[in-house]
Amino acid sequence: MSRTNKSVLSVALVACFLGLAIGSRADDVVVRLSGGDGYMKLADGRILYIFSFADFSNLPPEEVMSAGLLAASAPAPTIIADEGDRVFLHLTNVGMVMRPDLFDPHSVHWHGFPNAAPIFDGLPDTSISINMGGTLSYFYNVVEPGTYMYHCHVEATEHMQMGMLGNLYVRPAQNKSPDGTLLGGFVHHTGFKYAYNDGDGSTFYDVEFPIQIGSFDAAFHDASESTQPLPFALMRDDYPLLNGRGYPDTAVPGALPALAENGGKVSQGVSSLIEATQGEKILLRISNLNVTRFYTLASLGIPMKVVGQDARLLRAPSGLNLYRTTNSVTLGGGESKDAILDTSGVQPGRYFLYTTNLNYLSNGTEDFGGMMTEIIIHAQ
Amino acid sequence: MNFETDGKIMKHSARFVFRIAALLATGLYAGRATRADINGLEGSDFRLTASAGTIVMPDGLSVHVWGFGPTDGNMQYPGPTLITTQGQLTQITLLNELPEPTSMVFPGMVNVVADGGVGTQQGLLALEALPGGTVSYSFTPRQPGTYLYYSGTRPDVQVEMGLLGALIVRPMDFDPLAPRAYQDNETAYDQEYLFLLSEMDPRIHEVVLRLGSAGLDGLDYLTDHQPQYWFINGRVGPDTFLPNNVPWLKHQPYGAMARTHPGERMLMRVVGGGRDVHPFHHHGNHARVIAKNGRLGTSASYEVFTIQTAPGETIDAIWTWTGQRLGWDAYGHAPGDPLEPGEYAPDHGKPIPVNLTELQDLAFGGFYSGDPFLGSLKSLPPGEGGLNQNGGFHFMWHSHTEKELVNNDIAPGGMMTMCIVEPHGVPID
Ligand SMILES: [Cu+2]
Ligand SMILES: [Cu+2]
Repeated sequence: MSRTNKSVLSVALVACFLGLAIGSRADDVVVRLSGGDGYMKLADGRILYIFSFADFSNLPPEEVMSAGLLAASAPAPTIIADEGDRVFLHLTNVGMVMRPDLFDPHSVHWHGFPNAAPIFDGLPDTSISINMGGTLSYFYNVVEPGTYMYHCHVEATEHMQMGMLGNLYVRPAQNKSPDGTLLGGFVHHTGFKYAYNDGDGSTFYDVEFPIQIGSFDAAFHDASESTQPLPFALMRDDYPLLNGRGYPDTAVPGALPALAENGGKVSQGVSSLIEATQGEKILLRISNLNVTRFYTLASLGIPMKVVGQDARLLRAPSGLNLYRTTNSVTLGGGESKDAILDTSGVQPGRYFLYTTNLNYLSNGTEDFGGMMTEIIIHAQ
Repeated sequence: MNFETDGKIMKHSARFVFRIAALLATGLYAGRATRADINGLEGSDFRLTASAGTIVMPDGLSVHVWGFGPTDGNMQYPGPTLITTQGQLTQITLLNELPEPTSMVFPGMVNVVADGGVGTQQGLLALEALPGGTVSYSFTPRQPGTYLYYSGTRPDVQVEMGLLGALIVRPMDFDPLAPRAYQDNETAYDQEYLFLLSEMDPRIHEVVLRLGSAGLDGLDYLTDHQPQYWFINGRVGPDTFLPNNVPWLKHQPYGAMARTHPGERMLMRVVGGGRDVHPFHHHGNHARVIAKNGRLGTSASYEVFTIQTAPGETIDAIWTWTGQRLGWDAYGHAPGDPLEPGEYAPDHGKPIPVNLTELQDLAFGGFYSGDPFLGSLKSLPPGEGGLNQNGGFHFMWHSHTEKELVNNDIAPGGMMTMCIVEPHGVPID
């Protein structure tokens, strides 16, 4: 079973390093994350100090402590699971290399996990979190598909502003239906993908892209790096981001180059470049994890059909579909939407997904950029 | 809360932990009944007084506040939750003890009749009571639901100052033994809680204290609003965790802690009482949105994990937690143990599938029971935990605009509270 995806730091299946799991099965998913500090580069060239997670699912557990130093990535590694998976997530707190005075614990909050138990909810106040040098294991029996998100919940205002935020989504069991299965009037074929278990093929898509809305206040990050009092009251984000980048970096395919500041590590692995061939359906898994405000994202030229919200199919108990076709979606922090863009009949070319909070089309003092990316429709 | 100190952010005060622990010890949380009702004034003839007072925030700042209150009681923030019934002629008589005219408006109510003689004047939005004057308003609610009331006199100043409250209209056929929010079985509930969200910019309150509303002329505080406090039911975290009517919060009588049992239906009445949109994230499970602005939407209901709350908007949602399909037994049962009421049987007796980390590598929350299982209490290292009385599962419910989880630069605080899933048998009032 392979879980690789060219656009994400994928969750690898590491069956041989199950050291911390008991009662595990061969098809269990093991995710190994570090929590610590590091650096990213903003679209105007500014280097920003961050806290975040990094993916070490392919490393033996004893190597995560050293490999995780200054490895924070923006956004945090994308976690992808299938409905029915049992996910074992091991979080190692590697400490803050640039802030030896800080002894903050960390946690993983799988935001939106249904019927959660506090022990694996990552809220430090109501359960446990992990101190420097330690590893904490989380277990998730993944039974509900949809677009979630995850973040650290320790000192949430600070650690989230500092960047401990990532994409997380669950693919539905319907994807694994036998070839030829009838979903209402829709015939399923092997390889077909859906946003939810819709029963009628109405959330079918060809290509999917996680798009995480974010924004950082550079002054806050600078204050953190230089051990100054943190300006909570004055927090005002000036770097609007999609998947941890401002435009035009959002449209750079693949990872941004490694940085010298973190010892030559790639810290920005998630591109927001959206590509499809004319006629394909694009699923955007949109989430918002900024900590200061609401944002609206608009698609110019390709309507969006919103089929899901907060990791639920938009359907009333009566069976009534609550899908809506729109040009824009508005999300506050901690909200998600699943939008399908149908490119049939759309002229090949370059389109844009951007915030209509137009003052956030900026990178710091650069008045062009910010929360925007490109949708490239290729000719058939 | 996190009790670490990193030298630059002031953490949750030990004094507060002591207060909560003392309350728990005296059993103030232990109740008589098994149902929580919203705290407020019930009836159809309400007598209110608008007056000024001072609230003291957890960071120590005193804020001058204007609020509505019962005629025989304190000014309060927010004003009393007024609970009336669909189809019932409802009258509200307001005495104004503020230094400026004030009034009330009731969005969602139709044909509001205002009455008053000497001591009143016609304002832009409503008949106003002059200082010392009395005005009354009456209306007959046509639809049940959750509504907001607030000052109709310079609301830009007066709502900020604190002149707002919630209005709840029970359905005509309301049965307190089998309560429903609307005349619809999908709105039946076991527990009921209000979450009135608001915010304050203390600069405005300082100016009004010294100079009155006129002092704001020439300043941009109303247009360039910079809130520093974010409230649920008129309290900021951690005061939200305290019970109703604690004596030292005399102008902030309403707690915001929600409690329920596994499998019960909790009605969340979420009200946008301030100027900003707040994404109200409820840990623990999804909620089903059944109504907006007092209009039933069960035929098109949907589930969310964050309730988008816009200014002036109200949302009713049903939240239930069962712990089903966790893949392990949330009660920590052995396979031969009896089932709890409503327990998800397929997970019964299944062990938690990970080894929990050694204690020395862990940081513990004040609300952690010392054990992962519902209803179980275990001892923690000295000074840790202590706020979880019954081994209940605690879930934080908070603004996901995390910037709002501070009190005037001090984290944590602000727009946060807890929902507790208590083991069956623990009384809830
Ligand atoms: Cu953290
Ligand atoms: Cu969250």
